[in-house]
Amino acid sequence: MASAPPALFFASSDEEGENTPLVSVDHESDLVPASSSQTPSEHTATSSLFLVASDQEEADRVPTSSPPQLAHSYAENVNDIEAQSTPHVKIVGSSAAAVSDATRNENLEEPPAKRRKHSPIVHSHAQLGASYIGDLPVDGAWSTVSGTGHVKVGDSVLIRREGSKKESSGPNTKKGNKTKKSSGGKQVSLTSMLSAKGTRFPKKVDTVVRIVNNKGSDLARLPTEIASWISKLLDFGLVEIRGTMTDCPEKLKTGMSLMVTLHIYLHPDAFKPLRMSSRDVDGGFTYNEGYETQEENFLRERKAAILKLFDAVGLRAQAGARCKGKKYSQKVEDTIGNLAQRTGGKTKKELVGDGEEIEVDSTEELSNNDLSLIYRKAQQKDTLMPLMDPAESFDLTLRGYQKQALNWMYSIEHDTRDAHLGVSMHPLWSQYIFPPEQDINTGDIDLTAEDKFFYFNPYSGELSLDVPLVEHECRGGILADVGMGKTIMISALIQTSLLLKDEFKEDKQPLVGPRQLRIEKAFRSSRRPNRRLPPSGTLIVAPASLLAQWAEEIQRSSKSNTLEVIIWHGHNRLDLDVLVNSAGDQDRMPKVVITSYGTLASEHAKTMSPLFDIYWLRIVLDEAHACKSRMSTTAKAVYDLRAKWRWAVTGTPIVNKLEDLFSLLKFLKHEPWSEYAYFRSFITLPFLARDPKAIEVVQVILENALLRREKNMLDIDGKKIVELPPKEITIEALEFSSLEKKIYDSIWLKVKRNFDQLEAKGLVGKNYTHILAMLMKLRRAVLHPDLVLEKEDSNGSSNAQPLDNPAINLEDLVKNLTSNSNGGSNVAFAEGVLANLADEDITECPICFDVMEVPTMILGCAHQCCKDCILTHIATCEEKGQQPNCFACGRGPINPSDLVEVIRKEPTNSQPSASVALRRNDVRSSTKLEALLKHLRRLKEEDPKFRAVVFSQFTSFLDLIQVMLQREGYDFCRFDGTMDVKKRSAALSAFKSPSKQPRILIISLKAGGVGLNLTTANHVFMMDCWWNAATENQAIDRVHRIGQDKTVHVTHFIISNTIEGRILQIQKRKTAIVREAFRGTRADGRADPDSIENLKIMFEEEGLRH
Amino acid sequence: MSLPKRIIKETERLVADPAPGISAEPHEDNLRYFNVTIEGPGGSPFEHGKFKLELFLPEEYPMAPPKVRFLTKIYHPNIDKLGRICLDILKDKWSPALQIRTVLLSIQALLSAPNPDDPLATDVAKHYKENEKDAQRVSREWTQAYAA
Repeated sequence: MASAPPALFFASSDEEGENTPLVSVDHESDLVPASSSQTPSEHTATSSLFLVASDQEEADRVPTSSPPQLAHSYAENVNDIEAQSTPHVKIVGSSAAAVSDATRNENLEEPPAKRRKHSPIVHSHAQLGASYIGDLPVDGAWSTVSGTGHVKVGDSVLIRREGSKKESSGPNTKKGNKTKKSSGGKQVSLTSMLSAKGTRFPKKVDTVVRIVNNKGSDLARLPTEIASWISKLLDFGLVEIRGTMTDCPEKLKTGMSLMVTLHIYLHPDAFKPLRMSSRDVDGGFTYNEGYETQEENFLRERKAAILKLFDAVGLRAQAGARCKGKKYSQKVEDTIGNLAQRTGGKTKKELVGDGEEIEVDSTEELSNNDLSLIYRKAQQKDTLMPLMDPAESFDLTLRGYQKQALNWMYSIEHDTRDAHLGVSMHPLWSQYIFPPEQDINTGDIDLTAEDKFFYFNPYSGELSLDVPLVEHECRGGILADVGMGKTIMISALIQTSLLLKDEFKEDKQPLVGPRQLRIEKAFRSSRRPNRRLPPSGTLIVAPASLLAQWAEEIQRSSKSNTLEVIIWHGHNRLDLDVLVNSAGDQDRMPKVVITSYGTLASEHAKTMSPLFDIYWLRIVLDEAHACKSRMSTTAKAVYDLRAKWRWAVTGTPIVNKLEDLFSLLKFLKHEPWSEYAYFRSFITLPFLARDPKAIEVVQVILENALLRREKNMLDIDGKKIVELPPKEITIEALEFSSLEKKIYDSIWLKVKRNFDQLEAKGLVGKNYTHILAMLMKLRRAVLHPDLVLEKEDSNGSSNAQPLDNPAINLEDLVKNLTSNSNGGSNVAFAEGVLANLADEDITECPICFDVMEVPTMILGCAHQCCKDCILTHIATCEEKGQQPNCFACGRGPINPSDLVEVIRKEPTNSQPSASVALRRNDVRSSTKLEALLKHLRRLKEEDPKFRAVVFSQFTSFLDLIQVMLQREGYDFCRFDGTMDVKKRSAALSAFKSPSKQPRILIISLKAGGVGLNLTTANHVFMMDCWWNAATENQAIDRVHRIGQDKTVHVTHFIISNTIEGRILQIQKRKTAIVREAFRGTRADGRADPDSIENLKIMFEEEGLRH
Repeated sequence: MSLPKRIIKETERLVADPAPGISAEPHEDNLRYFNVTIEGPGGSPFEHGKFKLELFLPEEYPMAPPKVRFLTKIYHPNIDKLGRICLDILKDKWSPALQIRTVLLSIQALLSAPNPDDPLATDVAKHYKENEKDAQRVSREWTQAYAA
């Protein structure tokens, strides 16, 4: 089996010093790596070519078969490990393509002449001979001879396998023939071994190991239990064993027990890379138990034998990937411990892609702390990364860290290795120290000798003398910066990183797959005879709400006519083939196709679709966590896309569990982690078993494949990499009006009673969804009574659609008053009131004794008070079964529709005196709405052209906000998930367009919480609470992000003593609890016990307040 | 529980500008609870009496009326032995535009103008109806005995 990426097995060349035309050689032989990464089965034949034992021979072959896969240059000997870990910073300019292999060497100190060809795991120690790894005293060797003079104590003896010298004599294999025979041990090449297994030991496996004296005659055999694995080691050519007779009588008898000490040496060949015929064995042997190939069998036995050996001689791993420091390791273990304690598998529904819902197992979720630990390693050296300037066609100025990102992405796409400066040992390998060898003659141990290391992969059984570094096979990665202008970085990449001429090979395009069999294509081929065009199109897949923004941003950042961008979505799906492939030979203008996950999934369902036919130059998945569930149709579609370079852009590569990462790696074709079995056995399962290795493995993968910077990170000069204006968050606690409080309390009591009953009967679990729905009702009730009242309760007054013209003419009002009144005094009073309406004097409300807020007049008697006061009065009277009369004159009954609002307009330039307008009360407001309006009024006074964004998670509440804004005459735009792409983009551009009037964007948290760039605004209003703060923060970051130059004011409206206060508390706690508490429904709609417990707490604590 | 602005303002005004013959002071521990003294109106059988009352502003105030009760024994057809008062504005005729002050003034006025047709203390009412003079004499006696 193999457990490292396939490239590891190539005996690749670093011989640039001797072999100047290497670059061109590279491209000549592009076929090899292409097949290795794309068509696994093809390279079997060629691969054996690279299984070389002799440096000389390999050097001879270089011109024809040097694999282009650019391996890291590894230290010539193990003592160089230290040197390797020193990062080398190299500046990669835009001419990086010309960078020769030499610059990719991390080990520049090494003189070129000394270089040897070797793969990452190839030995470089042949000249050292066998390496001592320990003594093994054996008691009970079984004498096979009788008599004296055969041997005496202290004699050296040979350890020999019987019958293993008959190598297969077929016309076989350079490899077999090249295997160097070392004196003393019988070496068996892999090939011969295989044939031996196949033919010579069909039934019974001979494991006899003989002890031979220095005259060459048999003395004894090793005891069976030891011989069983020593025989394997010998057969596989892994060890040389010298023996010393420790104890024996002078006269031997057959069957007598002898004591022998075995001095065991690892044979240099043991450190050679293993070659497999198929990559399918990657981690798969345990999953395919019914079918074990000869090779697998061989590998398994080899691995087992080596493990036995290490165990027997007491050799222990000095370090795995955690050799970097004990503290760090401890922390990892703690994390694992914490994580593993959260047991209990839960299935929950999650929204993926464009509204696709899928059941996922929510075991082992990760907290924020855990995540930062996982990312930390990938971030370690980020500040040191070199910068890169974008192409000239890019029209914006990049910030330092954006140039770093560009460099990183460019380097990956064009394989200039040092981009991330990652030098981690491959996580699946362990480091061992060769034990010091006792001098046979003196018995001394040379204590001054430096430790020498070797490496062993306990999963594959491979051995290596060189540090097995992590290889980075895929061409792409995860751009996981948080709020740093990822769109711009990708845009710069599209402009800057074009396909270099020599990087393109027609035959590199994988032409496999049924999709190639399009009939349509056959017809068209005449039109486009030249299929040898290099891929030039970038496909961007993004959530539907962000399509327009992507197009806009890319165009904004590019000089005109340097780029072609189309949105491929909805009904407007052009002929992509023509677009992407047409002008290819005349100009190299990059082309960008933007589509949505929804479109992608639906196209995938078709038998043919240009999206999947085209071989893209680059695919960018925006908000790539949309495909984190590998079983979702979105994810499956994403995996089927074909491209040279692949990027996943997301702020949350791990949403809440390690497996989220798998889907991204699969999309990136980040082998071998893109194999689920592999990922599962090396990450998921160890993680569940609390093995810190799991986290380490993830860290090492991410170190090379992920770039993640955060706003608060410091650059190399110690400055913040992103300077953003401050963000002020105010949580404004509001009090319900008495009417709202009544409505809320009645719902609360109902919910509480319901819950208590269910709890008493032990039925909470079964009715979990029901309770969640009731909680939802409470959350609506804090926003607006209309959101929870039955239709019949809210007739008339709460009609969401206001009258076309709610304004009332003053004269009409006077007429109305005079005709209605029966006494002259009344008329006089009314007239007096009307005359004074426009007065600046602020009148006190006769009910709340406060300054009248939204002064409201009763039609008919002209008595005024606050709108809320009179509405509450009416509601109270109705509740008591009394007739609601005027609070002042007792005239009645009065209806909410009899009320008019008095709106005083401040004097303006055009109208110097204050004026007054009356407006029918045809919309029911709410505390939160009024609070919002109050703020908007204030803002308008402070800044007559302010821009504000109003978030709510309920579109029904957005409706009500919209009505109020209309009534108040504000210029507003709306953005929510029900709108199609065109409408959304229209709304956004309307909001961003310049205007001297204030403008407000009302936006749903779900549709607009991610991705959008709303830096035009600097005021944010959060109308309600989401269960976790992260979602809210992400929404706020739409405004507080790069490009924002003003202080961002965030106002969060909360109604005190309601469920909202509790939600805020929960937000402050670990978000993990929230997930458990509120997303913990299982597939059958029942909740797991933890969730119920949390729910109880929620009700209890909340209950105390009531 | 915070006190609504209205109650604070009313209290301030009651202290700053008391109605003649009426005093109302909030309880130290509970600002919704008032100790009230009403002087018997001149010309009424209750003249020269100082009547103690208690007044409580419920949670819903001013949407609901205050609760008021005589603590001093009084012989009045609309006030019973327990001190409960039969007054329309304290019941269905309550309006949120009314205040503590107006309520207390109304009670003071009720002392001047007993309404035996809408009685609470039926025996007193009967007495007032059958022999008003004698009833007023008893009222005066009680005022002297209990409200001096």
